Amino acid sequence: MEKKFQFVEIDEQASEHIAAPHYSYWKSVFRTFFKSKLAIAMLILATIIFSIAMIQPLFSNYDPLNSPNILDFSLRFNPPNSQNWFGTDNVGNSLFDAVWAGTRTSILISFISTAINLTLGIAVGAFWGYSKKFDKVMLEIYNVVANVPFLLVVTMMLYVIGYGFWKLIFALTITGWFGIAYFIRTQVMIIRDREYNLVSRCLGTPTSRMITRNILPYLTSVIVTLLSREIPVIISTESVLSFLGIGLTAATPSLGRMISQYTSFINAYPYLFWIPVSILASVSISFYIVGQTFADASDPKTHM
Amino acid sequence: MEREVILSVRDLEVSFPKGKGRFIAVRDANFDIYKGETFALVGESGSGKTTIGRSIIRINPTSKGKIIFEGKVINEKLSAEEDRQVIKNIQMIFQDPATSLNERATIDYIISEGLVNFKMFKSQEERKAKVVKSLAEVGLLQEHVTRYPHEFSGGQRQRIGIARAMIMEPKLIIADEPISALDVSIRAQVLNLMKTLQEEKGLTYLFIAHDLSVVRFISDRIAVIHLGRIVELANTADLFLHPLHPYTRSLLSAVPMPDPISEKAKELMVYTENLHDYSVHQPSFVEIAPGHFVWANEPELEQYRELLK
Ligand SMILES: Nc1ncnc2c1ncn2[C@@H]1O[C@H](COP(=O)(O)OP(=O)(O)OP(=O)(O)O)[C@@H](O)[C@H]1O
Ligand SMILES: [Mg+2]
Repeated sequence: MEKKFQFVEIDEQASEHIAAPHYSYWKSVFRTFFKSKLAIAMLILATIIFSIAMIQPLFSNYDPLNSPNILDFSLRFNPPNSQNWFGTDNVGNSLFDAVWAGTRTSILISFISTAINLTLGIAVGAFWGYSKKFDKVMLEIYNVVANVPFLLVVTMMLYVIGYGFWKLIFALTITGWFGIAYFIRTQVMIIRDREYNLVSRCLGTPTSRMITRNILPYLTSVIVTLLSREIPVIISTESVLSFLGIGLTAATPSLGRMISQYTSFINAYPYLFWIPVSILASVSISFYIVGQTFADASDPKTHM
Repeated sequence: MEREVILSVRDLEVSFPKGKGRFIAVRDANFDIYKGETFALVGESGSGKTTIGRSIIRINPTSKGKIIFEGKVINEKLSAEEDRQVIKNIQMIFQDPATSLNERATIDYIISEGLVNFKMFKSQEERKAKVVKSLAEVGLLQEHVTRYPHEFSGGQRQRIGIARAMIMEPKLIIADEPISALDVSIRAQVLNLMKTLQEEKGLTYLFIAHDLSVVRFISDRIAVIHLGRIVELANTADLFLHPLHPYTRSLLSAVPMPDPISEKAKELMVYTENLHDYSVHQPSFVEIAPGHFVWANEPELEQYRELLK
């Protein structure tokens, strides 16, 4: 009878032990991301488009100012075939070469501009949200900038400084970061007064580390959302401008200009119009969906 | 024996902008806190307890009066070195453990934050050892350093908050209702922990609470605050034996009694400011008996003196 029960030691520490596996933020982000089949498909599409656009033009030597086959009438308006996968255009150029050269321009311009806009926007926005004095000044400037349409600023800038690859990037970024900075400022203000930031202040944490450790980690998902929105916006802005004949010089291959040139053949040779348009759409949509899914995945609320 | 004062608050007023004017959250606050004691600040929700705590730790700017820590006025612009000293020596345990931890940082980072700011270690090994030691002091485990706050229970989170303040080796700790957000079953655990740490380290506490039953067992002296004004201040025993101000008495009448018969017979008192007639005689904060202060005017003081006899 007395053997049935035994005294055991109480282990106070045992109740403190956490049985759950270790949480890792980035691992959880990727796990959540790869749960979405659509996102995986779009990531593959975006990677393929990106790789071809970066590599193929290096070998094709496509030059929009140079049409070597212009005298060979048999090479004009060839529909897509085994030789020219996307067919040829009105001057005998391979549409395949032209489209990828144009895509390369679009991607480069949008990536570089987005990188500049986001870096400036986040850096200025974080400081803007933190400093009350800076806020007063910046709000005045922002009210002016925000009330001028973005496309108008870009067009006016280009009119003043002239056309070209880097000039277009300059025009797209001169005020392009402002909207992002304002958005980040508002986000920072929302997070800034949360209690754990007061704690950090009471521990003497300098502002710079408050921004990098207390504020920005909470904004990962917001920043990725901005990124996934900014890239397609710049791509479409670039093509609209090129479509209108503004921004890039004739020496730079451009999807927008191509589409505008081929619009006149939309009935007779529809592939000339539709192929560049669908590549343009695929670039924007795939980057957007990948970005959006990644943004959702980087919100820890989705990790449970 | 003359006791050493660590913190003095003199004629403190704290106000917040409200509409066109200002809202005065705390007025005429006067008290001293002695080294090594637990000084409780008790009052109902919205009475200005957190506001006082936060102005001592210099989160809230003050509009009048002085806060003096170790003989030095601290609610004015300090030199960088003085500022560092005050930050290190006064720490706060925050009211809500759910919002006072950085969810995107590991426990290691959270506990080390102050150590890093003050470079209180010579090597990474020393820093890690200090973190583990302070976790152990609050009953947490070494394996917790790589965890994130959301993996902990409310009581554990509050203990993380305590460890984070303790590791700074402060002299004064402002504990803002450290147990009010916790489950009743673990309140005693956290209170006992704070008591033990106080004895080990010779800490001084400013303990904020909203009812007298909690502070009765842990505080040496109690200040009662009503609508931003301290109405009574006394030793814990004196305050419970001879409560003078009607607001203190109403608070005491709300303290549950362990004896069911007297609990049933107890009369709940409701306090309103209409009880006082301050049209002729102005009230002030008077030391009516040694160490026993009350906010009253001359006729009321007469009455209170009668009570004390
Ligand atoms: N930053 C602020 N801006 C404006 N008003 C404030 C601010 N902080 C506090 N107040 C006001 O000051 C008064 C006192 O608030 P305080 O937080 O000090 O109360 P409390 O005694 O700590 O209450 P609780 O027990 O609910 O924590 C309240 O009326 C509150 O609305
Ligand atoms: Mg409070």
